[in-house]
Amino acid sequence: MYARSNSTDRSGHHKLSEQLTARRLMLLAGIAGAGMSLLAAQPAAANETPRSGGTLTFGVTTEPVCFDPHRSVQQNSYIIIRNYVDSLVAKNADGRFLPWLAKSFQKSADGKTYDFILRDDVVFHDGEKFDAAAVKTNFDHARDAKNAVPAGELLQSIEQIEAVAPHHLRLHLQQPDTALLESIASVRLGLLSPKALQAGAQLCGGGPALAGTGPFRFAGYTRGQSVALERNAAYNWGPGYAKHNGPAYLEKATIRFLPEYSVRAGALSSGQIDVIEGVQPTDVGQFKDQPGFQFLTGPSGAQTAFTLNINNTIEPATDVRVRQALRDGADIEALVKSVYRGTVRRAWSNIGPDNPLYNKALEGSWGLNVAKANQLLDEAGWTGRDAQGYRTKDGKRLGIEVGYPQPFVRDSRDVLIQGVQAQLRKNLGFDLKLRIITGGEWGQQLREGTWTIYPNTYLPADPVRELEGNIGRTGFIRAVSDKGDKELFGHIESALRATTADDKLKHVHAAQKRAVDQAVIVPLFAASYQLAARDKVRGLSFEAQLDSPSNLYDVWVAP
Amino acid sequence: MTSTRAMITKRIAPRLLTGLLVAWGAVTAAFIGMHALPGRVEDILAGDMSWPGLREAIAQEWGLDQSVWSQYVGFIWRIAQGDFGTSYVMRQPVADVIGPQIWPTVHLALSAGILAVVLAVLAATLTAGRGRIARAAASLIELACVSAPVFWIGLLLLLAFSFTLRWFPVSGADGWRALVLPAVTLALPTAGLLAQVLREAMEKALVQPFVVTTRARGIGETLLRLRHVLRHAALPAVTLGGWLVGGLLGGAVITEKVFGRPGLGTVTLNAVLSQDAPVVLAVVMLAALIHVLASTALDVAYVFIDPRLKVQ
Repeated sequence: MYARSNSTDRSGHHKLSEQLTARRLMLLAGIAGAGMSLLAAQPAAANETPRSGGTLTFGVTTEPVCFDPHRSVQQNSYIIIRNYVDSLVAKNADGRFLPWLAKSFQKSADGKTYDFILRDDVVFHDGEKFDAAAVKTNFDHARDAKNAVPAGELLQSIEQIEAVAPHHLRLHLQQPDTALLESIASVRLGLLSPKALQAGAQLCGGGPALAGTGPFRFAGYTRGQSVALERNAAYNWGPGYAKHNGPAYLEKATIRFLPEYSVRAGALSSGQIDVIEGVQPTDVGQFKDQPGFQFLTGPSGAQTAFTLNINNTIEPATDVRVRQALRDGADIEALVKSVYRGTVRRAWSNIGPDNPLYNKALEGSWGLNVAKANQLLDEAGWTGRDAQGYRTKDGKRLGIEVGYPQPFVRDSRDVLIQGVQAQLRKNLGFDLKLRIITGGEWGQQLREGTWTIYPNTYLPADPVRELEGNIGRTGFIRAVSDKGDKELFGHIESALRATTADDKLKHVHAAQKRAVDQAVIVPLFAASYQLAARDKVRGLSFEAQLDSPSNLYDVWVAP
Repeated sequence: MTSTRAMITKRIAPRLLTGLLVAWGAVTAAFIGMHALPGRVEDILAGDMSWPGLREAIAQEWGLDQSVWSQYVGFIWRIAQGDFGTSYVMRQPVADVIGPQIWPTVHLALSAGILAVVLAVLAATLTAGRGRIARAAASLIELACVSAPVFWIGLLLLLAFSFTLRWFPVSGADGWRALVLPAVTLALPTAGLLAQVLREAMEKALVQPFVVTTRARGIGETLLRLRHVLRHAALPAVTLGGWLVGGLLGGAVITEKVFGRPGLGTVTLNAVLSQDAPVVLAVVMLAALIHVLASTALDVAYVFIDPRLKVQ
């Protein structure tokens, strides 16, 4: 449960321009939207007919703690879970929602009622029928507080769930929720067989008992080693963005847990596995533009950027000048470039740059300005210096602690923070103290509102929900939100309750701008997934709702 | 017969009884440690989630609303009945989580242990008391094996024998081929240490009067070393063996991670990071029991190696 806000993603994003040749750019000209860079790196597949059959081995970074979509809060678990679990609606790369297990859906004018007409030909892996009652069972189970299901938070705006007819589901909301469709599209609210749900507790352990409706069934799990997936021959209900109908091409797939970067890369380069996820910057050259291999970079839109969240209710961060000095005192661009060797983009907002609601105007609006930062600190009265060269005021050193929970430390992110630390010390005499804490200590700080700076990436969700969960009234600051930034909270809440898309966009942009202007966040880099694979693997892509690699439904292996 | 029975009553039974005490002590220490960590279990399980009644629901589900003392007594009582409880984060019975992981780890540690002993005996018998260059070379290799981190040895072996030569698969636990590289990885540091201790002991033994006597009988050098000197030199190495069992189990955790093998490693690591008390406590207890069993076995081994101990 602990990995909730620090989803386990992998860094590494290549600039579009590096990947797109002119010819491919022309091919792509008609396709707009986030995440499309991935198409560029796919081997030419224009005249090929997909081949059914065969197997594939996929090496991944993370072994999920729990395989139950409703309970798992590790982003890397969804790469696997998506193979056996479908959702009611599907999120397209351009931000539109497409049919999936719901043939159609409609929102009422006041935004408080949603109707879903469900497909009537869907069957769960255990033979149970999929219908409105099954969906109701899923959602009611998730939102029942006594079950303590993490995905329940996505359904908090719901007042009642009604099975109007066998294949007609209606959701009644307490108030408009602009994030609802995104929540419904989330793998976290993927649909499980009611029989499996009622059987209860042990779904976290995976295996055939974990019955969804997905293109693969969960055939077996060897802890510490692998997951076995088998094609669901009955499957004929792919998401609206899928490239084909009917069952998946692959007969079987094996997901291998290979937590070491170099082991994954070596296993792929020596032909022992077919696809890997998570390629460290120094290994990219082995696969990118290399004969026999392909390298794909996913979008940075669904998850938030890796961001320093500052608790502005605790001294000295209560002073906006101190926060702004922290924001502009280090050369984030250069640090990100040196730590990640140009494989990821520096972030300007905590909303990912490929998200349709990203506020692009923030680019270049803040950042390195040492003179200004020093001036702000002088004005704020931090004019003394101690023996180590740090600024002081009334005998107290200017410093703020970054408490980084150990379970979330990965991808050299601690090294990046150390870089910021060194620059702030040198440039400003600002003591940014990095301390690795336990998950439990973070939980305690969160409950008491005593955390000072929390570095994180947030699980994929609607951007408004991300803003709310990170910097909104019920976000990390909730214990002390009465002392928080009311204007920021207001923008986020207005965005959540907006009834038109324009209104939502306006408030989401305003909230991002407010957060950066007030320096309650210092975005560092936009994380994205990479895939490296043998060149004969076709149909690899990324899921817009997650940023992470799509399931293996459209994937096939060329002879 | 009588001597065997005497050995059981005199040596083994008391050791096993103490072993239970050790296991209880270890589990109690771990229990205290888990509770001394900052943050409540509800906080960890709730993560960033928050809605009215959530923490209370979690506390009730796991019995965290009771006093620490009654949680402890309940825990020990259940363990005594063979019930290790349910993992907080994996939400499955601890026995189901850990049970299937024991054999892969034991299999790996055992293979590595045997390999380490063979390598160490070979290295020591071949080089003890020989020319300076041979000894220096062996010492250097042993030192490198002892000092190198296990994961680094693993990566080097993978690079050479899996990625480049493709003799062995990179990961998994299917068949002997998948066991070779992990076992060698885990064996090398142990073998290095054992070889050094063994060589020193052999060199001491080689200058003993009994060696001169035996040589005078006209015995060949190899036979002398294997039959007489090695036995003499084995005692200090066996003493070290108890400690090495711990090293092998600890090293197995890292080896399993590098090679993507099933075993207690990943389970333990994740449980510690997420403060999943029921799993951590079960692993601690298991480790304590293994230590007790290993040291009892070594105690018995002394008697066989050194018959003088039987008389005492």
